[in-house]
Amino acid sequence: MRFTDGVRWIVTALGTGRSRSILTVVGIAIGIAAVALLTAIGEGVRSYVMTEFSQFGTRIIGVSPGKNVTGGIGGILSSVRPLTVDDADALRRIPAVETVIPVVQGVGELEFEGRHRNVKVMGVNADMPAAWNFRVAQGRFLPEVQAGAASSPYVVLGHTAHQELFGDRSALGRKVRLGGRAFRVIGVIEPKGDMLGFDLDDIAYIPADLALQLFNRESLMEIDLTFAAGADMVKLQADIRRRLIDRHGREDFTVTTQDQMLNSLDSILSVLTLAVALLGSISLLVGSVGIVTTLTTSVQERRGEIGLLHALGAPRQQILILFLGESVALSLCGGGIGILILLACKGVALVFYPAFPLTPQPLYIALALLLSVGIGLLAGATPAYRASILNPVDALRSE
Amino acid sequence: MRFPDALAFALQVIRRQRFRTAMVMLALIIGVSAVNLLTGLGEGARRYVVGEFSSLGKNTLIVLPGKTETKGGMPPLVGEAPRDLTLGDGLALLRIPGMQSVAPLIIGMAELSSGGRVRDSLILGSTSEFFRIRQLKVKLGKALPDQDWDLAAPVAVIGTQLKKELFGTSSALGKWVRADQRRFRVIGILESKGVALGHNLDEVMLIPIASAQTLFNQAGLFRIFADVMHERQIPAVRQRMLEVVKARHDGVEDITVITQDSVLAGFNRILRLLTVAVGGIAAISLGVAGVLIMNIMLISVSQRTSEIGLLKALGATQSTIRNLFLGEALLLALLGAFAGTVISELLLALGRLSFESMPLQTPLWARLASVSLALGTAVIFAWIPSVRASRLAPVEALGSGQGV
Repeated sequence: MRFTDGVRWIVTALGTGRSRSILTVVGIAIGIAAVALLTAIGEGVRSYVMTEFSQFGTRIIGVSPGKNVTGGIGGILSSVRPLTVDDADALRRIPAVETVIPVVQGVGELEFEGRHRNVKVMGVNADMPAAWNFRVAQGRFLPEVQAGAASSPYVVLGHTAHQELFGDRSALGRKVRLGGRAFRVIGVIEPKGDMLGFDLDDIAYIPADLALQLFNRESLMEIDLTFAAGADMVKLQADIRRRLIDRHGREDFTVTTQDQMLNSLDSILSVLTLAVALLGSISLLVGSVGIVTTLTTSVQERRGEIGLLHALGAPRQQILILFLGESVALSLCGGGIGILILLACKGVALVFYPAFPLTPQPLYIALALLLSVGIGLLAGATPAYRASILNPVDALRSE
Repeated sequence: MRFPDALAFALQVIRRQRFRTAMVMLALIIGVSAVNLLTGLGEGARRYVVGEFSSLGKNTLIVLPGKTETKGGMPPLVGEAPRDLTLGDGLALLRIPGMQSVAPLIIGMAELSSGGRVRDSLILGSTSEFFRIRQLKVKLGKALPDQDWDLAAPVAVIGTQLKKELFGTSSALGKWVRADQRRFRVIGILESKGVALGHNLDEVMLIPIASAQTLFNQAGLFRIFADVMHERQIPAVRQRMLEVVKARHDGVEDITVITQDSVLAGFNRILRLLTVAVGGIAAISLGVAGVLIMNIMLISVSQRTSEIGLLKALGATQSTIRNLFLGEALLLALLGAFAGTVISELLLALGRLSFESMPLQTPLWARLASVSLALGTAVIFAWIPSVRASRLAPVEALGSGQGV
């Protein structure tokens, strides 16, 4: 039998039981669409989270006080071995380090002419906008301060904090009160939006040393460093460790790179994507049960036809291949339609809700098609084998 | 046709078409048990988390320093505020009518050493009330002494894991532990509670609140736990707490008071949503099973045209025949759903045996939903084939029977 004849045979077979074939295809299509959609959503969420986290730049190393800290809560707690602003200044002298930001976080009440607003307060330094990709909309950011010298009481407001306190009026040069101290507003930051539910605009930025005084703390919560592109990470981390051990006498701090954090986040989200894909493939499993059923029924009904093929000298292998081909054709059609459903969903999402995290990946689409071929082969195996071992005499007699 | 006859008719068909019946059942079993298993897992996780949080009693309020107005429900669980929460604030709270007990808390890290062994550990500074509010039990020795808050007694209660790290198998009671420049005498060892959400209490050292203040050179409290006598008093007491602290802080309301509920509600909502989502994804497979049922019924109708013709010739009405086929599909679905439920219950029971702490159980709504979805899809998808069967003209139907 020539190849084209085989194809024609399969097409005729599928066309004869049309409603049956269509239903089988629909079953597989739902399954493939479920898997493809869920992986696309998982992929979308993953890339969304990754961009959210890398908006501060990716070349960041964090140093937090305390060793053996799980979950990063360490910096907030008190410690008998504080990290100080002087430590931060010392780290600045390491080659390849570009910026060093001491970080203290808290909340406080801003007051201006009788208006009050409770905001987050971040103690940082002049390097912050460069390191975290923040842009100043009005005025300027906190000025550089000589190492060891006390900072002037300046404050830079986030977009929301500025809006709430001043409305449309200019805030530059005004004095606001924060925790009982007067601060002069010298700048306003461009809106940054939310990051995973955390409003980045409702924040007041003040010098870190003043924040330590304000909150009556000894220790910074974290020191963030950015480094030059192409720096040797291993050497850099070793340098940081050595420099701080020299100052503290022992290793009582933890160094984490943004890379490590992003990598672990990435792998967690990839596992999640895989997990939802597995959930979706339950439907695919049920769909393949459908293929087995229809194909088995069709083998039963077409015993005469199969007997005729045998009688005309068709080898068993060929009959096996014909029925397998039928099965694969069914599942491949299902796969194709499933992917069309995915693309349609993407289209709808683009029109009505562009922010919806749905990123169809060519790789996954190819995998889904491959998967449907695999399902066709697996599901078709038993019925096709049964057809191939039919005794031609028996098969013909049933006609 | 009487109901028992109809049932016998359907059962006979199911017996005759054993392979197809098995396949439909298999599809339904996969669908129903997937829904039940996954929602059971989700529900188990939810109950586990809720149970962990409930170790902090129902009547407990938590006072945090600072306040934010940013939208979004999460309270400022971490961070600093310009004005400290002080021991004085805590004592003032204790005088509020309806207040049962108050426990201040300071958390810090320090390096502990004893007999040459060194370990970094979490240190909790609090009072004897803390043991009651957090339901901590002492395995050996005694809890922190019930004394004035500002007495900095050099005593400590340590967790079991920390005891193992610092003292090995030898007795720890009465021994000294050094933290920074100070020494604490071990007076008690906590009963192991395992990992509670947040911190592992097996690896902490508890010291009196005043000792923690001097150790960390810090007057401000990390938070205050306050136990109210009766649950119904919570709103009134909460209001009074805000007023009392406001009066002490020069008329500025700069604290946040949260109930256990507000923390729990967030987790509860997220986990419930996840459970529903996961169950929903699994339920797609029931839709696919429905398609399979439709297919099987169509095949079945086309193969049994002569039988239908005979029924019609004997005077069966259209609705009788339709109901016969619908009944057949329903019976299949019922069997499949039942088997699926039994299988998922067995697997979950097995899961409960292996993970005792996880209360794995399919919620009632999911059980009802999976079974009714199975039955519903069966009726919906069997509708078209059944109607097609009922519309066959008797002559045609009987005639086609000759060939087969």
